[in-house]
Amino acid sequence: MMAKKVLHSLTLNGEEVEVASVAGATLLETLREDLRVLSSKRGCNQGVCGACTVLLDGKPVRACLTLTARCEGHAVQTMEGMNGDHVMATLQRHMVESGGVQCGFCTGGVLISARELLESDPSPSRETVKTALSGNICRCTGYRTIVDAVCGAAEELSQ
Amino acid sequence: MTEVFNPETVEEAVALLAQHGEAMPLSGGATLIAMRNAALVEPSHLISLDRIPDLRGISRDDGGGIRIGAMTRHFETAACVELTGSLQVLRRAAGMIANRVVRNMGTMGGSVANADPAADYLPALSCCDAVLEIAGPDGRRTLSIHDYIEDWYETALEEGEIITAITLPAPVEVSSTYRKIARVSGDYATASCAMALDPDGQGLRVAIGACGPGPLRDRAGEKALRGKLDDPSAVSEFTSRLVALADPVDDVRGSAEYRLRLIPRLVTSVLSELTTQKEMA
Ligand SMILES: Cc1cc2nc3c(=O)[nH]c(=O)nc-3n(C[C@H](O)[C@H](O)[C@H](O)COP(=O)(O)OP(=O)(O)OC[C@H]3O[C@@H](n4cnc5c(N)ncnc54)[C@H](O)[C@@H]3O)c2cc1C
Ligand code: FES
Ligand code: FES
Repeated sequence: MMAKKVLHSLTLNGEEVEVASVAGATLLETLREDLRVLSSKRGCNQGVCGACTVLLDGKPVRACLTLTARCEGHAVQTMEGMNGDHVMATLQRHMVESGGVQCGFCTGGVLISARELLESDPSPSRETVKTALSGNICRCTGYRTIVDAVCGAAEELSQ
Repeated sequence: MTEVFNPETVEEAVALLAQHGEAMPLSGGATLIAMRNAALVEPSHLISLDRIPDLRGISRDDGGGIRIGAMTRHFETAACVELTGSLQVLRRAAGMIANRVVRNMGTMGGSVANADPAADYLPALSCCDAVLEIAGPDGRRTLSIHDYIEDWYETALEEGEIITAITLPAPVEVSSTYRKIARVSGDYATASCAMALDPDGQGLRVAIGACGPGPLRDRAGEKALRGKLDDPSAVSEFTSRLVALADPVDDVRGSAEYRLRLIPRLVTSVLSELTTQKEMA
């Protein structure tokens, strides 16, 4: 049986898009399989690892737990749409410099979570950074270099 | 494949649920979509409650009581300045659920409906003597949080009913707080404790989470403890009763035996935090 598809219109990285996805698809499926927007990764598909994190109306959410139908008429932003964001660029540079990126699978989700933290708390303690990133699992770095990067970026941005 | 509906009124949502036997209400999706992704549930239809204005927002009634719409996200509850004094406990609990991203998604209605024994809202709501507003095929009704949990993952919610709001008595100026013991930040509780002092400071209300099918409250024990909060042997008698009433299980977050040992320590430590706060105030 062919799975029934449904048309959805949403704003993706500032552009209106219309996309056909299987009825009840998650935003992660729509992004990766139907739109081939690949920065949001499928790790656990359970909301636990954070690799799929994207912005919905400016707030980080799990793409694997968000239905595409929920995004109808709303704005979705992925790492592809973050070029030109000063806070993000600073975080990215610190991630590279401190060795916070190894395989890179977790990196987009980490960056989106870190950016939200810096928006609400421009100079967080190391402990606050760790708690804020507790929903982003990294299998490579051991986290210390990621925390270094976020703290370094925070320091640079608050100067 | 799941068909998704976006009703705009409670009546429409209830009618859609009645119409499609395999339909389930969808709020934040933080639990339901994870379960569907794991093929633990396969709903034919999802009735999204996201576009129903009636289910949104936190408001105050004429008597000062607070109504939290079922679709209120955890981050909104965690930031709600109306939740002061005796209701601070609920605000604290909201801020300790999972992590920031999940708090942007999950809702109070969804969490209460899901009735996970280790969820953070249930003990906090029990400590606040919350009341649930429910809508279903037979109309609207209200239900005390104390009559809500019937067994492990079993609630008094009937087929086709949805939770529309959670109401709380007007806050009074007393200390209250929520403490959660978890393996790592962002995990579900191994055990938790929601506590508020009585308005005169002579007694307390306490609910323990993750140590039985629902929040553990011993209202008779609370009564017996009134006026004796500074008497260590009375407090110890009270915590022994709680331990006797608890019914924890062994799971990845801790053994039942460990949980039973946590209860008295949690209660005495949170109590001393609250009474010190009171003396400093
Ligand atoms: C990684 C992760 C970590 C988590 N950690 C914690 C934690 O530490 N503490 C904690 O308390 N929770 C935790 N949660 C659960 C989280 O709080 C969920 O948001 C919550 O359990 C479900 O809320 P929801 O709005 O997402 O509901 P949904 O997932 O949409 O629904 C859950 C269930 O309730 C039903 N339902 C939804 N809304 C209603 C309604 N209004 N009336 C009747 N039935 C309804 C649905 O049909 C479904 O069966 C965690 C979740 C994740 C993914
Ligand atoms: S894939 Fe979404 S959180 Fe892991
Ligand atoms: S860099 Fe490989 S998972 Fe984080």
